[in-house]
Amino acid sequence: MTNRLKKIFTVVIPASAVLAAGTAWFVTRFPASSFEKTGSQGEPSAQLVARGEYVSRLTDCVACHSVPGGAAYTGGLKMVTPMGAIFATNITPDRERGIGAYTLADFDRALRSGVAKDGHRLYPAMPYPSYAKLSDDDVKALYAYFMKGVPAVHLENRKSTIPWPLNMRWPLAFWNVVFAPSDVYRPDTSKDAQWNRGAYLVEGAGHCGACHTPRSLAFNEKGTDSRSAAFVSGALIDGWFAPSLRNDANTGLGRWSEDDVFRFLKTGRNDHAVVFGSMTEAFNNSTQFFSDDDLRAVAHYLKSLPGDGQRDGTPWQYEPTQTKALQPAGRQGIPGAQTYMAKCSFCHGADGRGQGQWVPPLAGAASSLVPDSSSSINVTLNGSGRVVAAGVPDSYRMPSYREQLSDGEIADVLTFIRSSWGNRQSPVMKPDVKKLREQTVPASSSPVILKTR
Amino acid sequence: MELNINGIQHHVDVEPDTPLLWALRDDLAMTGTKYGCGLAQCGACTVLVDGQAVRSCVTPVEKVAGASITTIEAIEQDDLGKRVVAAWVKHQVPQCGYCQSGQVMAATSLLRQVPHPTDADIDAAMVNLCRCGTYNAIRAAIHDLASGSTDGGA
Ligand code: FES
Ligand code: FES
Repeated sequence: MTNRLKKIFTVVIPASAVLAAGTAWFVTRFPASSFEKTGSQGEPSAQLVARGEYVSRLTDCVACHSVPGGAAYTGGLKMVTPMGAIFATNITPDRERGIGAYTLADFDRALRSGVAKDGHRLYPAMPYPSYAKLSDDDVKALYAYFMKGVPAVHLENRKSTIPWPLNMRWPLAFWNVVFAPSDVYRPDTSKDAQWNRGAYLVEGAGHCGACHTPRSLAFNEKGTDSRSAAFVSGALIDGWFAPSLRNDANTGLGRWSEDDVFRFLKTGRNDHAVVFGSMTEAFNNSTQFFSDDDLRAVAHYLKSLPGDGQRDGTPWQYEPTQTKALQPAGRQGIPGAQTYMAKCSFCHGADGRGQGQWVPPLAGAASSLVPDSSSSINVTLNGSGRVVAAGVPDSYRMPSYREQLSDGEIADVLTFIRSSWGNRQSPVMKPDVKKLREQTVPASSSPVILKTR
Repeated sequence: MELNINGIQHHVDVEPDTPLLWALRDDLAMTGTKYGCGLAQCGACTVLVDGQAVRSCVTPVEKVAGASITTIEAIEQDDLGKRVVAAWVKHQVPQCGYCQSGQVMAATSLLRQVPHPTDADIDAAMVNLCRCGTYNAIRAAIHDLASGSTDGGA
C-alpha cells in the first residue's frame, strides 16, 4: 500500500467519519430544555391554565395554527415559500395528531428551540427565534393551557409541498446556530421594569419583529432586539408593508404618543390609523386581550426605539393646498383626483384627514409615506378585514375596489393620495397594481414570500 | 349627542361612532334619507353638512355634532333647494325615486359650488348611482337650473 493510500485509510476516512458523525449528531440532537428533569407534575391548577391562556394571547398562536372556520389550534394555515407550501400543524392535545404526547420538555424544545418531539427541525415560519425569549414560567403556563384548556381534535396535519431535497430539515440546525437567539429574555438593568416588560412582549412573546423587521436573504430577521437599528424598522410581508414601529416621524410611530400606541392596540384605532391588513388579525386575536399594564409597557418600550431620519426623510406636515384643487372643475385635470372624490373622499374626506378615530386619515398616514406602496394597493384592491373590538364589529370598513377600479385608476388615485396634503412619495405604477391584483387573488398559486404572521 | 338638523336641535342617545344615517332614520324617524349600500358606494343617503354633500351612512355622528345638517325633509326651505326640487318635477326625473333624495342633495351642493356647471362638471360631481338610469334627466334638470329658466315653480 502506498503511503498515500495508507494515509487515506488511517487519517482521512476516520476523520471524515468522525466529522460526519459529529454533524449527524449535531443536526439531530435535542437542544437542552430547562424542563428536562421536570417529571409529570400532575394536574395543573386552574390558575396556571388561565395564565397559559393569557400567554397564548400574547404569543398569538391561533393566528397561524387555525384557519377560518376550523377549530382553534388545529392548524392547516397554508404558508407559501419560494420552495413550496408548508402548513401550520395541529397543536391541540390530541395524542396522535396533535401534541398530546408532548412532555413539558418536548413542548419547550418546539416552542423555544424549533425542534419537534421526533427531532425534526421546524421551519422558522414558527417564530421560535422570538419565543426563545419566553420565561420558563410562561412556557410552563402555556403548556398547561395547551394540555388542559384546549380541546383535543383528531385532525391530520397537511403535508408540505416542498420537494426533496429541499424538504430536508436538518440544515436548519445550522441556520439556528447563526440566526436564532437561544436565550431567555435578560432584563436590561439600565432600564425600568415597564420598559423591560415591554421589551419582553415586543421582542419575545408578541414576536412583532416577525412581520415588522426586515429579513435578509437567509430569511432571518435583521435585528432581534432594541440594540439593532433594523429591529421593527418596517418590512414587506405577505403583500403588506408592515410599517416601522420605531420613532420615525413619517413611516413609524414618531407622531404617536404612548397613549396613541396604547389605544391602537387596545381598540384597533386612534386618530392616526385603524388596523388593516395582517394587523387586523393580530388585533382581533391578540393585542386587544393584553392587560392594560402590558399594553402600556409595549407602548413605553416602542416609544424608546429611535427613528432614522435619513431613511424616513423630512417630517411630514399637513398642506391644505390640494383640497382646493378638488373642486369639480379643478379635479378633472389631475389624474386620480376625480376617482378620489368619487370613491374615497366620502369617508377619508376631501381634506384627506379621515373622520376622527373612525376612518383613518390618508394625509400623513404611514402607508402614504413609505416608499413601498404595497399596503395602499392591497387595501384598495381587497379592502380591509372586519375589526372586532371587545366583541363589537366595526361600523366602517374599507370596501374592496378590485371589481370597480382598473389597475390604471388605482395607480392614479394612489399616486394622487401619495402626493397630496403634504404627502411626498413616489408614484404608484400600474404594473405594481397588476402584480398585487394577481398575487392576492385568493386562488393564486404565485408565491407570497414567507408567510409568517 | 346633540345634532342640529334642519335648523332644529335634536338629542339622540347613540354611540359616537353611530352612522348619521342610523340616527336620522332609526332614532329620529326621518326616513326621507335612504339606505342603499351603507358603504359610501351609492349616494342614496346623501345629506348636506354645512352645505357640503356627505354620505350619511359613513359619517359618524360624533363628526357632525355642532354642524348644520340639512336633509331632504327641509330642502325646500332653502331657495336653491326649492328650485332644484321644482326642476326635478318639471323634468320628471324620478322613476322609482329611491335614489332621488340623494340626487337632489348632490345637485344642490354642486350648484352652490358651481352655479353654471359644464357637462364635465356634472359628470364629476354627480356620482350617485341610479338603478333606474335617470342620469340624462338629472343632467337636463341641472342645465335648466343653471340657465335660470326654472324659477322654483313660482
Ligand atoms: S347608503 Fe350611503 S352611500 Fe349607499
Ligand atoms: S330613480 Fe330609481 S334608483 Fe334612481
